Amino acid sequence: MFEKSLYDLIRGLRNHKGNEKEYIQNCLKECRSEIRSPDMDLKATALLKLIYLEMNGHDMSWASFHVLEVMSSQKYHQKRVGYLGAVQSFRPDTDVLMMATNLLKKDLASSHPTTITLPIAALPHLVTPSLALSLLGDLLPRLTHSHASIKKKTVVTLYRLALVYPEALRAAWPKIKERLMDKDEDPSVTAAIVNVVCELGWRRPQDFLPLAPRLFELLVDGGNNWMAIKLIKLFATLTPLEPRLVRKLLPPLTNLIKTTPAMSLLYECINGIIQGGILGDGEDFSAREEVASLCVSKLRGMVSVNSDPNLKYVALLAFNRIVTTHPMLVAEQEDVILECIDSEDISIRIKALDLVQGMVSSDNLLSIVGRLMRQLKASSSALAQQQNGVEDLDDSSDDGSGKRAKSQEQAAPLPDEYTIDVIGRILGMCSQDNYANVIDFDWYIDVLTQLVRIAPPPRTRALDSDSLPSPKPAIDISEKIGNELRNVAVKVKAVRPAAVRAAELIISRLNTETVSSRPVVAGALKPLAFVVGEYAFQLSSPDDTLRNMLSLVPRADYPEVLATCLQSIPKLFAHVAGDDQALWTPERKSSLSLLMARVIHVLEPLAQHPYLEVQERAVEFIELLKLTAEAASGQAPSTNEIQQDAPLLLTQAIPSLFAGWELNSVAPGAQYNVPIPSGLDLDEPIHSNLGGLLSQADSLMLPTQGDDEFEVYYNQRPAPTSISSGPAIERLVDAPEEVGNSYQQAGEESYLDADIVARRKAERRERNKDDPFYIPDMSSSRTGTSTPIHNILQKENGPDLDIDAIPVMSLDLEKLSISGPSRQQQHHPRQPRQKIVIEADETLGVSGGNSGVSTPGARPGYDSENNSDSFNLSKAAKKPKQKSLLQFNSSVLGGLSLTDEQQPDDGFAHERQQKEEAEMAQAMREVQRLRLEMQRANERIQVAQGVPVEGVAVVKKKKKKAVKADEGEGQVVKKKKKKVDKEVPSIAISIGCEIKGACLWLLMSSRDQGVCIYSQAAHL
Amino acid sequence: MINAFLVFNGQGQPRLTKFYTQLETSIQQRLISEIFTLVSNRAPGSCNFLPLPPLLAASGTSSSSSSATEQNDVPSLVTYRHYATLYFIVISTSTESPLALIDLIQVYVEALDRLFENVCELDLIFNFETLHATLGEMIIGGVVIETNMERIVAGVRAQGAVAKRPVNEGSRGGGGAGLGAMAAAGFQGMGGNFVWHGR
Repeated sequence: MFEKSLYDLIRGLRNHKGNEKEYIQNCLKECRSEIRSPDMDLKATALLKLIYLEMNGHDMSWASFHVLEVMSSQKYHQKRVGYLGAVQSFRPDTDVLMMATNLLKKDLASSHPTTITLPIAALPHLVTPSLALSLLGDLLPRLTHSHASIKKKTVVTLYRLALVYPEALRAAWPKIKERLMDKDEDPSVTAAIVNVVCELGWRRPQDFLPLAPRLFELLVDGGNNWMAIKLIKLFATLTPLEPRLVRKLLPPLTNLIKTTPAMSLLYECINGIIQGGILGDGEDFSAREEVASLCVSKLRGMVSVNSDPNLKYVALLAFNRIVTTHPMLVAEQEDVILECIDSEDISIRIKALDLVQGMVSSDNLLSIVGRLMRQLKASSSALAQQQNGVEDLDDSSDDGSGKRAKSQEQAAPLPDEYTIDVIGRILGMCSQDNYANVIDFDWYIDVLTQLVRIAPPPRTRALDSDSLPSPKPAIDISEKIGNELRNVAVKVKAVRPAAVRAAELIISRLNTETVSSRPVVAGALKPLAFVVGEYAFQLSSPDDTLRNMLSLVPRADYPEVLATCLQSIPKLFAHVAGDDQALWTPERKSSLSLLMARVIHVLEPLAQHPYLEVQERAVEFIELLKLTAEAASGQAPSTNEIQQDAPLLLTQAIPSLFAGWELNSVAPGAQYNVPIPSGLDLDEPIHSNLGGLLSQADSLMLPTQGDDEFEVYYNQRPAPTSISSGPAIERLVDAPEEVGNSYQQAGEESYLDADIVARRKAERRERNKDDPFYIPDMSSSRTGTSTPIHNILQKENGPDLDIDAIPVMSLDLEKLSISGPSRQQQHHPRQPRQKIVIEADETLGVSGGNSGVSTPGARPGYDSENNSDSFNLSKAAKKPKQKSLLQFNSSVLGGLSLTDEQQPDDGFAHERQQKEEAEMAQAMREVQRLRLEMQRANERIQVAQGVPVEGVAVVKKKKKKAVKADEGEGQVVKKKKKKVDKEVPSIAISIGCEIKGACLWLLMSSRDQGVCIYSQAAHL
Repeated sequence: MINAFLVFNGQGQPRLTKFYTQLETSIQQRLISEIFTLVSNRAPGSCNFLPLPPLLAASGTSSSSSSATEQNDVPSLVTYRHYATLYFIVISTSTESPLALIDLIQVYVEALDRLFENVCELDLIFNFETLHATLGEMIIGGVVIETNMERIVAGVRAQGAVAKRPVNEGSRGGGGAGLGAMAAAGFQGMGGNFVWHGR
């Protein structure tokens, strides 16, 4: 049969469009058998195919041994495939790697430069500390190889070795330095060394100060822009340590800035000057001033509107670096940076946002948040539109028009991650320093209300649904928004009524807008439930809210949310029912009985909830309500003759449960300042058999929701998601009305939903009703000319007279006068700041400081469980400690000093390594000797038995460990490994696993040996 | 340092993957598809830098509290260029110069063009070994070692002859994946919006 080449595979892939999966599975199967073949060509081809498939996501970790086999091939083109396979497929857990040591050593010592390159290039991908230790000695001589390309690759490989085995650098650094100092060195080697030094430099800049003169020389007359960029980066880390460098560097850098045609170099010069602290104050003031203005003006030019987007992006990157050290310089560029927030390029937006976050003040908060809100609004409406569009596309199959519509659309929907990020930043900016920057809390509440609608739903939780009792789902963005609203309601008494009403509205909206069979996933429900419960007396319609809550509770998804909602229901109930002034009429009695029955009905299923908190609260309230219901039914209603009071349980007892003190916000960590009572022993177990009880609780059956879900799934039709009707053309031409004024001061209409705006306007009208300086907006039909003068004239002259037709000099009243609310809004920033008291968090003791933020860092054990109100804190507490994907870990280098090259340690390491190598070599010789002995014995047997001399064949069999059981020889081969181990136990113990490597090396290099054995056999 | 160098086409099919740290195949694929989603949604005329894909952002630079030096180890920059049917991606740490990386991709593509003479996607599909070899002449272990075109091309040629694409492939129409001559037209600039005068 014909084996497939890589060409055939790729061609086949292209010809099997549609059923590629099947085709690939077949190919993999073929490769599996081909790679086991003794034919090296076939093996290598199969490996190449596997590498190709691996690129497309098909695991080939199973083939790692075959990779080694191909790596050990004698032919360069096969070897190359083997090495490529190792680079692409070996992972940290690939265990065959230790067998490769000797192969790598051998190839590093090869006489062909191309062969030497293979292990050098592969090592950075494979290296482990032990591999680094054993190969260092072979790699070091390659630094002086005659080929420049090998030298420069070796330098880099040594650096990567040092990342896992820092001692390598101690041995290699003197040689690398020698190369760097050598003025006759090939420029590309020098450039590679500079790149490596740049990587090393930021870890231990002090070690590289002595190199400064040479590096400076390279910078001035290197003539290589790539290298110059790296040198400037390196100098930027050196200058803070050696201020004298600054004076030296300034002239060449200024010169470069003024002359270089390469934008990348120009940018790095500016960046380097700023980052290296060269802009900082110093003696030579005028020169620095000049440089500073030069740099900043160049950067400003990069950010400005019409610039190349790449320059915009990198300039923002530079600003982001400067902002920590020179905030003033960046603040001066506020105008151009703000423009970048509205860039259509998300990368630029995000970088601009990073910057803006640090620049917020009470003056610009409104406009910044306005910009962001407008983006979010546009995106969420675009998203809704697109969803409709997708449904539409399915039937119409008119692909082209759909695409066109998408491309025409001004605001493509933003990715969820970005939306969440932006919302988080908005909240962060507004809540900064305990709301220091928020002037208008009514505005803030409206923004929050809008944000709840925009917030993307949390990711589907299908995966963790089985771990239902898990206490804390990651705080989703919707909950953060709700927390903000709650914080405002608690902390800012002046706007509490407004906040409570906002919460009320959101809850009613949640109830009506989500499909009744679906669970409510909005995390905002939790804090909002607290607000409506705690401040029930400020609700505009407590009855409706109670009803909404009751219908939301069974659908609440997270147990934590559920627990909070449960708590708010009796609060609401107490407010609705506990009026002790009202008469105990028959109507009241019956309506309350009904209400109680309803509440009990809702709570009852929750009494068996797996989450203890929910269960406990549910049980408590059910019992309480049952008692109350009994009392209520026992109390006869008042008639015309006899006045009866409502049952005291209803009017006194239940409300008193919740009416004690006002709840204020408590600083995170305040709990820790509570002194422990003297009699309390926290280590004493609560119950002697607590563990048993808990495990019992764990093993309890979860209530099966199966029935319900079954029912829902099969018997209830899912509510149809809104299918837009109407001609498609309406969706095509959706002019972005607000775009025109978006560069001006924030118009709130552009980012708040219509109903919020309407409510806002109504409120404002109400507030300004009696204000003589405020000219109300008379009627919507007569905008523009609705000034009092106009009205008076019109009234005086009657309707016939067209006053506008009289040719007088046109007094453009529209421009002069105030024409309605939208105009008034623009004066917001100039309004005197409202006197609003924002309460600080309460705390105890002194350790928290006056702001009440006792640092979580000072209390390592503290988990931010109860202080979800502090969004910033929880963000900091969740700081990921784990290593990032793709990250290089160079931290080991931080502890390595290069300056004391004569440390005793150094010599010792090298000595030890040499010793180990000697041991290894000795062991190898021993193994080889034994092996040859056995081979000879073996051959003697063969010859004695008259078997044709087939040394090569024997070797091959041994290699595959496949034993033919025809004669005694096979068994000898099979036992070989064991026998070696047995005969040289001392070596095996002393050098541990290396013996295995040695044996395998023997197996691998058996090809040459086979020939040698053959000749020996011939002699015999 | 450079963390990864990727090439994939307009459908997100990888043509070259090179990760300078070892990474599970499945995670590699996830990363590629995340980057592809980002890159394919770019508006024309956007800059050549991508926001971090979620996979990298989750564990990476989003935690601004870690020290500045630690940041230098974490991939923080995703640079891309778009030539004809192919996207070239470089993931790197902050120690690389962003504008220089744009040039680096250009050098890589020009080198390929020199090797294949009027390179197109098909050449790269069928000769992905040469792709690796060329990259190996430019970047070793995440560090740039060569940016000079002549030396790169010479280095690759020293390893053996560079095969042309199978002769019949072009005439057969090749199965539909759009091939465009990347060389001349592609080099004039990304999307024709601006010309990059690097280096």
